[in-house]
Amino acid sequence: MMKNMTGKEKFFWISYGMALVVLFLLSSTDLIIKEEKVKIHPISVIVEADSDDNYVNFKKGMDLAAVELNADVSFITLYEQGNRRQQEELILREQLDGSRALIVAPVNREAVIQMQEQNSLYLPLVFINSEAGGEGEEERAAAVTFDFFSMGKRLGKEMASESLPGEKIYILENEAMSAAGRKFAEGIRSGVAEVLGSPAISYAWQPGGKSTALEKMTEGWTQRVIIAAPEPENLMEAAQLLQETENAGEWVGGLYGRGSSVPILNYLDKGIISGLCVTDDFSAGYLSVKAAIELAEGKAAREETYLESYYIRRGDLRDEKFEKILYPVE
Amino acid sequence: MRSLKKYCILLSELWLCVLLLLTGCGGTKKAEDKKSIRIGVSLYRGDDTFLNNIRGELEQCAKDFEQTKGVKVVLDIQDAKGNQNTQNDQIERFIALGCDVLCINPVDRTAASVIIDKAMAAQTPVIFFNRQPVEEDMDRWDRIYYVGAVARESAVLQGSIVVDCYRESPERLDLNDDGVVSYVLLEGESSHQDSLIRTEWSVQTLKDGGVPIEKLTGGIANWERSQASALMEQWLEKYPGRIELVICNNDDMALGAIDAMERAGAEGISVVGIDGTTPGLAAVENGKLMGTVSIDKAQYAGAILAIAAGEASGWESEPELELEEGKYYQCPWQIVVKN
Repeated sequence: MMKNMTGKEKFFWISYGMALVVLFLLSSTDLIIKEEKVKIHPISVIVEADSDDNYVNFKKGMDLAAVELNADVSFITLYEQGNRRQQEELILREQLDGSRALIVAPVNREAVIQMQEQNSLYLPLVFINSEAGGEGEEERAAAVTFDFFSMGKRLGKEMASESLPGEKIYILENEAMSAAGRKFAEGIRSGVAEVLGSPAISYAWQPGGKSTALEKMTEGWTQRVIIAAPEPENLMEAAQLLQETENAGEWVGGLYGRGSSVPILNYLDKGIISGLCVTDDFSAGYLSVKAAIELAEGKAAREETYLESYYIRRGDLRDEKFEKILYPVE
Repeated sequence: MRSLKKYCILLSELWLCVLLLLTGCGGTKKAEDKKSIRIGVSLYRGDDTFLNNIRGELEQCAKDFEQTKGVKVVLDIQDAKGNQNTQNDQIERFIALGCDVLCINPVDRTAASVIIDKAMAAQTPVIFFNRQPVEEDMDRWDRIYYVGAVARESAVLQGSIVVDCYRESPERLDLNDDGVVSYVLLEGESSHQDSLIRTEWSVQTLKDGGVPIEKLTGGIANWERSQASALMEQWLEKYPGRIELVICNNDDMALGAIDAMERAGAEGISVVGIDGTTPGLAAVENGKLMGTVSIDKAQYAGAILAIAAGEASGWESEPELELEEGKYYQCPWQIVVKN
């Protein structure tokens, strides 16, 4: 067939074939069809805890936001619970490693603000479980949080009103408490004092000393007590202890605290925890990533988002409204 | 004619140049010094107790590795929620985000070829764990690994817990003293390689150990506590006072059976599990579970991380663990009973 073709025809067909090949190759590059480049925002979340046990719902919200808003989110826990120095080191490490914004649940809020003020921390920052940064940080700080003081105050009032005459109220506290835990404890104290007129007693809780903790605590007691645990970790330990102690009911009139993890909710369901302050952690996770992206893009000025919190008892676990908050499905 | 020839030659040269230019667009990646490792982990279900234990250990191993080696480890752990399509999407995302290694607990072990295709195309090594892909898939690439535990070994050890108990005090198992131990069986997912093997070898070990057994019934509870509890509740009603032993393919189902027994007030029935999960070990300790078979979960997670770190660094140093056929790592089991 080629033999019958004229030179021009041959030239035309060869050129046509080559052009097709070139066009095919070009189509696989950006030269003809330019796909919109998706900008991925690397964001690091650094919490105050050494595990993500109390951040399960938060992470679900965070993951959803990461997919929907094109973020690459790293969730980082500390090597040791409540270690301020470690948190500061990790903040600087993530800054060096190319994060565009940070989300931090501070061990010590003031220390993180100081890092911003001294400019050792120059990345946009979203505080979770704490208010936003100090004055002059409007351009690069936001907060997605809960009003822990009011939450604690409400719990304190509930505890006080549910306590029997003569029962004392103890608050489990320790050095490693987070900023949120401290605020919550303050609130409990305020609520108890408002209802009973007498203060709650602070008890130095040593995490990990499970076998003897309750024994030590009950030493010298002559009356029943109500216990409040401002940190979810302490609440878990106390609940476990009450479950394992046969005659706990003789001394402990009720255990209260905050937290939304499944084991804590199971203790509430079993009646070991009497009342609980819960929060919408899924929304907190989603909104904090959204705020971080906005800050990274230079869009948002300082904004503090306060989310709702709720006081629930055992019966509320089956309530549709709380089911959605406590067991979120992405 | 001569000028036409010239044109053709010129055009061919031009075409070659264009081709070279275009193929060169991909460029070659510069090898860079690894200061951090990014690992994408996808779990078939995030609420599986055993896998949650492994996940916890993996996170701890990553922290230990960071502290000892000074190399940052980014673990991106995702829950596939029992959906293979979701898992495939997660793998695409891991690759797009530049993960160095993929650690995959496949939803459907027979669908691993899709995962392998994606990984091979991106030149990202894959470590499967807990659910072993078929051999043909494992042989497709020399950067595919599997970390698990030998199902048969776990089943034989589970059986031997019962055999030892029967030899020591037969009346503990043969509650109605009829000379036969009547048992029910709770099995895991039918698509999981371990379910069939655990079932077969557990029962076989009882027979080999001389325990006279009679199977009342059995059912698939898909590794889940709630499903096992529901099945056990039915069986307790259907076979009142006849069930003497509950053999379970894992601890979660064993705990589900115990839940049902507690609700029904059934006492004396022995229950055995496998996995050595945290709640399973607690149940052994408080006497609710006769025994379980456990692996060292830190070792299991450590093996996954060691392979991931080795692959990410291009096997700079000698691997600290021995891999069978260069790709399999099997953790040993051990019996856990109350002392």
